[in-house]
Amino acid sequence: MQAGKATRPFFSLRSIGLFLHDRRWLIAAFVIGAVLYVVPPPDGLSREGQLVLIVSLVAVILFVTEPVPLPSVALMIIIAQITLLGLDSSKVARSLMSDSVLFIMGSLMLAVAIVKQKLDKRIAYLIVRATGTGIYPICVGISFVCGVLASIIGEHTVAAMMLPVAITLVTLTSDNPKEVKGLAAVLLFSISYGCAIGGIGTPSGGARNAIMISYWKDFFFDPTNPETRRFLVDYVTWIKFAYPVFLAQLPLVTLILFAVFKPERKTLRRAVAKLRKQIEVRGPMTGRDWAAVGIFLATLVGWVTMSESVGLGTIALIGAVLFLIVGLVPWNDMNTGVNWGVVWLYAATISLGVEMQESGAAEWVATSFLDLLGPMNMDQGMPLLAAYTGLTTLVTNTMSAGAAVAVLGPIALRTAEIAGEDPLYLGFITAISSSFAYFTAAAHPAFTIVYASGYLKAADFFKVGWRMAIMSAVVLLIAAKFYWPLLGLS
Amino acid sequence: MGLGAPLSRAPFWRGMAGFLRQRMWLFIAFAVGSVLYALPVPDGLTREGQIILIMVIVAVILFVTEPVPLPAVALMIIAGQVILLGKQSSDVARSLMSDSVLFIMGSLMLAVGIIKQKLDKRLAYLIVRVTGTGLFQVSMGITVVCGVLSSVIGGHTVAAMMLPVALTLITLTKEHTKKISGLAAVLLLSIAYGCAIGSIGTPSGGARNAIMIGYWEEFFFNADHPSTYKYLVSYLDWMKFAYPVFLLQLPFVTWILFTAFKPEHKTLRRAVAKLRKQIEAQGPIKGSDWAAIFIFLLILAGWITLSDVLGLGIVAILGSALFLIVGLVRWNDMNSGVNWGVVLIYAATISLGVEMKDSGAAEWLAVSFLDLLKPWHLDSGLPLWAAYTALTTLVANTMSAGAAVAVLGPVTLHTAELVGESPLALGYITAISTSFAYFTAAAQPAFAIIYASGYLRTRDFLKVGWRMGILSASVLLLAAKFYWPLLGV
Amino acid sequence: MLEDEFDSDLQDNLGSRFQILVCIDGSDESYSGLRYAVRMGADNSADLTLLYVRPVDQGLRSGGLQMRVARENMLKWGVQLPGTKALTKGRDMLVEMGFMADDWKEQVVHTDVTGDPLGDNTTVYKNDEGACISLKLLVSPRVDRGILDECEVGNYDITIISMSETDEAKSHAGYISPATTFAVATQHRGTVLVARELEEDHGHFMCVDFTEKAIQSAVKDAQIASRCHCPVFLYSVAATEDELETAKSVVARAKAAIEAEGLSIAGQSTGVGDPVECIVGKGRNYSLIVLADSSVKGLRRFFTTSVAYEVLQKAANSVMIVR
Repeated sequence: MQAGKATRPFFSLRSIGLFLHDRRWLIAAFVIGAVLYVVPPPDGLSREGQLVLIVSLVAVILFVTEPVPLPSVALMIIIAQITLLGLDSSKVARSLMSDSVLFIMGSLMLAVAIVKQKLDKRIAYLIVRATGTGIYPICVGISFVCGVLASIIGEHTVAAMMLPVAITLVTLTSDNPKEVKGLAAVLLFSISYGCAIGGIGTPSGGARNAIMISYWKDFFFDPTNPETRRFLVDYVTWIKFAYPVFLAQLPLVTLILFAVFKPERKTLRRAVAKLRKQIEVRGPMTGRDWAAVGIFLATLVGWVTMSESVGLGTIALIGAVLFLIVGLVPWNDMNTGVNWGVVWLYAATISLGVEMQESGAAEWVATSFLDLLGPMNMDQGMPLLAAYTGLTTLVTNTMSAGAAVAVLGPIALRTAEIAGEDPLYLGFITAISSSFAYFTAAAHPAFTIVYASGYLKAADFFKVGWRMAIMSAVVLLIAAKFYWPLLGLS
Repeated sequence: MGLGAPLSRAPFWRGMAGFLRQRMWLFIAFAVGSVLYALPVPDGLTREGQIILIMVIVAVILFVTEPVPLPAVALMIIAGQVILLGKQSSDVARSLMSDSVLFIMGSLMLAVGIIKQKLDKRLAYLIVRVTGTGLFQVSMGITVVCGVLSSVIGGHTVAAMMLPVALTLITLTKEHTKKISGLAAVLLLSIAYGCAIGSIGTPSGGARNAIMIGYWEEFFFNADHPSTYKYLVSYLDWMKFAYPVFLLQLPFVTWILFTAFKPEHKTLRRAVAKLRKQIEAQGPIKGSDWAAIFIFLLILAGWITLSDVLGLGIVAILGSALFLIVGLVRWNDMNSGVNWGVVLIYAATISLGVEMKDSGAAEWLAVSFLDLLKPWHLDSGLPLWAAYTALTTLVANTMSAGAAVAVLGPVTLHTAELVGESPLALGYITAISTSFAYFTAAAQPAFAIIYASGYLRTRDFLKVGWRMGILSASVLLLAAKFYWPLLGV
Repeated sequence: MLEDEFDSDLQDNLGSRFQILVCIDGSDESYSGLRYAVRMGADNSADLTLLYVRPVDQGLRSGGLQMRVARENMLKWGVQLPGTKALTKGRDMLVEMGFMADDWKEQVVHTDVTGDPLGDNTTVYKNDEGACISLKLLVSPRVDRGILDECEVGNYDITIISMSETDEAKSHAGYISPATTFAVATQHRGTVLVARELEEDHGHFMCVDFTEKAIQSAVKDAQIASRCHCPVFLYSVAATEDELETAKSVVARAKAAIEAEGLSIAGQSTGVGDPVECIVGKGRNYSLIVLADSSVKGLRRFFTTSVAYEVLQKAANSVMIVR
C-alpha cells in the first residue's frame, strides 16, 4: 500500500508528477468510465444497466491494478451507487449486508481466535507430517485437503479455517514478507484454488450447484413423463459428473502456481523443524486449547447442520461471540487482526452484483454475447459449450457465483433447448464454470479471505487467474467431450 | 499477525473460579432474560415485542456491567434476532445497515485521517497567536476551537487531536506536574468540555445526532404526505435548533472551570513561548496539509449542501475515500485506528431500535412510562421534557450515548406522539441531553481520551460535571421553551 | 517469533538468585513497595523486576476511535505515555538509593502487541556480577491478568503489589485497584506481599497454625526476613482457652523448625479468640502480617473463605501470603 506519502509535499512539479504517475490507472479507469458514461446506452440496455456495467468495469480495473488501497475502491462503489444511480443511501447501505458478509466477518474473527490460540500450528503440523517437507507435496496436500473439505462444507469455511495454517508456514520460513513473496503466494493460492475447484464437487459445495439442480427440476421435470426423471439430479449423480473434474484439476493447479510464482525455497525443512519445536515447547494441549477446539468444532458442526435454518453468518458470529465470552481472545486482537477493508470490499461487490441483476445488465451481457456468437457458427455443439464456459467465467468474476448461475442458468437452459443440446450438459457447464471467478480478489470469498492475509497483491490474482481459468476451462471441456458421454449423456 | 502477551499456562480449573466471578453479570443477565422469556406476555404487548424487550434488557445489563467485550454483545443481538425471532439471517443482516451506520463508519475513518495530519500544531499556533499568554484566554481559546471543530467532526476526533497541545503546555510550564494540578485540570478539561458541548451542534457532531435523524425519517416520514416533510431534517435545520444551545453554553465553561479549580499560575508566558518556537521549527504549511484542509472543507460543504439528497453517511464515506486515494493516510492506520466493534454496536442497537418500533414494544414502553409519570403530572409540556432530559442523562452516563439514543429514541418518539407533542422537540431533547454525560471519566468519548492521558483524576470530572450538568440542562430547557417555538415547533 | 526467544531468555535468567517482582502503578504506595524490595535485595543479591501493566485501550469508551490514535499523536508530540513515566521514576529511585549504578549494561526487548503503538517493552539492566534489573511495560486486556501472566512465566520468589486507593494513583491507566490486588493475591501460586502503608523496621508478624504447611511457610518467611534483617515474631491463635496449649506447642514447633535452619526469631506469643480479629488487631504494630495460604483451591474457593483472605481484606497494614 501507499506508505509514506503523507510526509511528502506535493508542491513541486516533480512530486505532482510522481503522485499522478502512481495513480495513472486510477485516472485511466476514470477516463474510461467517463467516456462510456457519455455514450448513449446500447439497444436493449437501460440507462441504469449501463451505469452499473460502467461501475463494474471501473471497479474491476481498479481491483486488478490497485492504484489506491482496495478498501477505498469498495467505498467508491458505494458512493457511485448513490450518486450515479441515484439510489437512496439507506437502501444501498442495506444492500451491502447479507448473510454471506456476516459470514466473512465472523470467519475472519474466528481465524484470529485460532491464531491467537496457536491451533493453526498444530493443524499445519498434522498436514506437514502427512506430506513431508517438500514444498510441492505440501501445496498439493493443502489443495487436496481444502478441495475435499470445500466440496462438502462450502469453500468459505475451508478458506477461513486454512488461512492461518498457510500463514504459519510462511512466517516460520521468514519474518520478512518480502523474502518469501513467492512462497506465500504459492501456499495461499493453494488454499483458495483448492477451495474454488473443490466447491463444484458436490451439490452442498456451494449455493450455485443447488440453484442449478432446482432449475433443471423446475424447467424440465414432468411427473407424468418418466423420460424426464433424469432431470432430477441427486447427490451421487452430481458427484459422478463433477468430482473427476475437480480431481483432474488438482495437480495442474500446483503446477501452474509454481510456474507463475517461483517460490524462494524448495523445501520447508527449517520451518517444519521450528514448527515442531514450538509445538513441543508449548507442551500438550491445555484447557484453553481444548476450549478453543471445542468452540471451533461446535461452529463447524453448526455450519454443516444448521446453516439452512439460521444461516452461515449467524453461526460464524456465534462462534466469535463464544471466543470473546470465554475470554480466549480479547476484542482488541480481533479488531486489529481482522482486515475490515476486505469485509467492506466483499459487501460492496455483492451489492453491485445485486444491482447488476436487478437492472437487467447481466441479462443484456448474456444475450448480446450469444448474438455475437450466432454468425460465427458457435451456437451449437462443442463451440457452444466453450462459449458458455467463457461467458460464465466472465460474468461470475463480477458477481457472486450463486448470482451468476441464477442469472445465466435460465438463459443457458433455454439456449440448450433451442440448439437441441442436452440441458444437463449446458447446466453442468454453467454451474461448474461459475466457480472460475479467479480474476480479482473480490470475485470469490475464498480469494477475499486469503487476500486479507496481506501477503498478496491485487495484481497477483489476475496474473495467475487467467492461466487457471484457461486450464480449468480446458479440463472441463475435455471432461464434457470424453468423460460425460460415458455416463450416458449425448 | 503479531502475538500478544504470553498466556497464562495455569491449568484450566484454576482459573475457573475467577472466570465465573468475572462473568457473573453475564449469567445474571441471561438468568433474568430466561425468567422473563418464560413469563406470559403482558397486556398490550405481542410475543415478538416481549422478546425484543427482553433482548433490550439483557443488552442494557451487559452494556452497563460489561462482563464481556461490548462488541460480543452486539454480535449476540444479531444472533438473537435470528434465533429467538426466527428471522432470515440475510434480512437481519440488511437491517443492520442504514445511512446512520455508514455515517458512523465513515466519520471514524475520517477521524483517523484527520488526526494523522499535522493540523493540530497549526491549530495550537493559531490559538496562542490569537489569545496571547493569559491562562484564562488560552483555555477559552481551546474551548472555542474544540467546540467549533467537534460540532463538525465529533468530540473524539478533536480530543485526540488537541490532547497533546494541552499536555505540551502543561509539561512546558513545569516538569513536576503534581505541583500544577489545578492548571493541568483547567487546560485538559477545556478540551473535554469544549468537545462535549460542541458535539451537539450539527448532525455530524456525533453518532447520536445521525441516529436521531435516521429515526425521524424512518418512523414519521411518508413520501405521500407533504405534511411529514418536516421530519426530513437537513443539516442546516439541525444547526438552527442546536447550534444556539451550544453557543450559549460556551462562555460559561471557562468560568466554571476556573471556579472549580484554582490554577496555580495565571499566565503561561514561558510555555507559550516555547510552544511557538517548537511549532515554528516545523516550517511553513505544506502541500499535503493544504490537501487535508481542502478535503475537510469539501466534506463540510458536502454535509451542509448535499446531506439531505445523498445522506450524511455517503459524504463521510466520500471524505475517507478521498483521504485514502490522495494517500494522506494508509489503510492500515484506518483499519487499526477505528474500533470496528463500535460500528457493530451501533448497527446492532439501531436495528434493535427499529425492531422495537415495528414490534410495538416501543409504544408499550412509552405508554407504561407515561402511566408512571402521570401521578406526578409530569406527562406533558415542559415537565415531560425535563423528565426525559433527566432520564436520558442518567442512561447516557451509564452507557454509551449513541447506544442510549438508539434504544431510547423509539420510546421517546412514541411518547411524543401519544401525548400530542411534536416528535421533533422531544427528539432534539433526547439527542442533545445524551451529551450531558459529564459525571464519569468514561461517560464521553472525549473524556475517555483525555482521562487516558493520566493527568486527571476521576474526581475532577465529577467536580465540574455537576455544575456543567445543571448549566447545560437549564440552557437546553430554556431554548426548548422560548427559542424553538420561534422556529415553528 | 520474538516471543519465543523471549521465553528462552527468561529461562536463562532463572538462576539461583532471589527473584523479586514489584508491581508499579505510579502511586506512592507502589514505590514504598519498591523500597522494601531494595532492602530485601540488599548487597545486590537479588534480581528486581519492575512491572507496569497497561490495560489495552478498548476504544469503546472513546466512541470508536481507538485510543492508540490519540497515543500515537502524543508520541508524535514527544509527550511521555503514563506507563513509561512511572517506570522511569522507579529506575531513578533505584539509582538514587544506590541499588543500581548508571553504568549498568542496558538491553531493550520489544514485542509488538497488536492494537497498541507501544507493545510490550522490557529494558534489562545488568552489571558485571550478573545482577539484573528489568523494567517491564506489559500490555494486557486487564491489569490483574497481566500481572498474573507475568508471575506465571517469571517464577518469582516474591511478588510485591500495593493496595492503595488514593486519587493520585487512580489517574494512572495501569492503576492497581484493590480488586486487582486481591485477585493477584488469591490467584497467584507464589508468595505475595501486599504493601499497604508499608513501614520498614517493625518486623514480621508470622502467624502459624497446626498444619505442616504453616510450619514450612514460617521457615520460608524467616529466610525472607533474614534477607532484610527483619525480626520475626511468631504468633498463634486458639479459638478457646482449652486449645491454648496446642497453640503454644505449634509456636514451639515452628520455632524449632526455624532454628534448625540456622535462623532465629525475635519473639513469640499466643492469643485466644476469633483468629481474624486477633491477627488483625495484634498485627497492627508490625511491618508485615505473614500468613500461610491455608486456602482450598479451585471451585471450593467459592464457598469457603480462608483466614488468610479475610485478614488480607481487614488488615490495615501490609500482609504477606506465603506459598
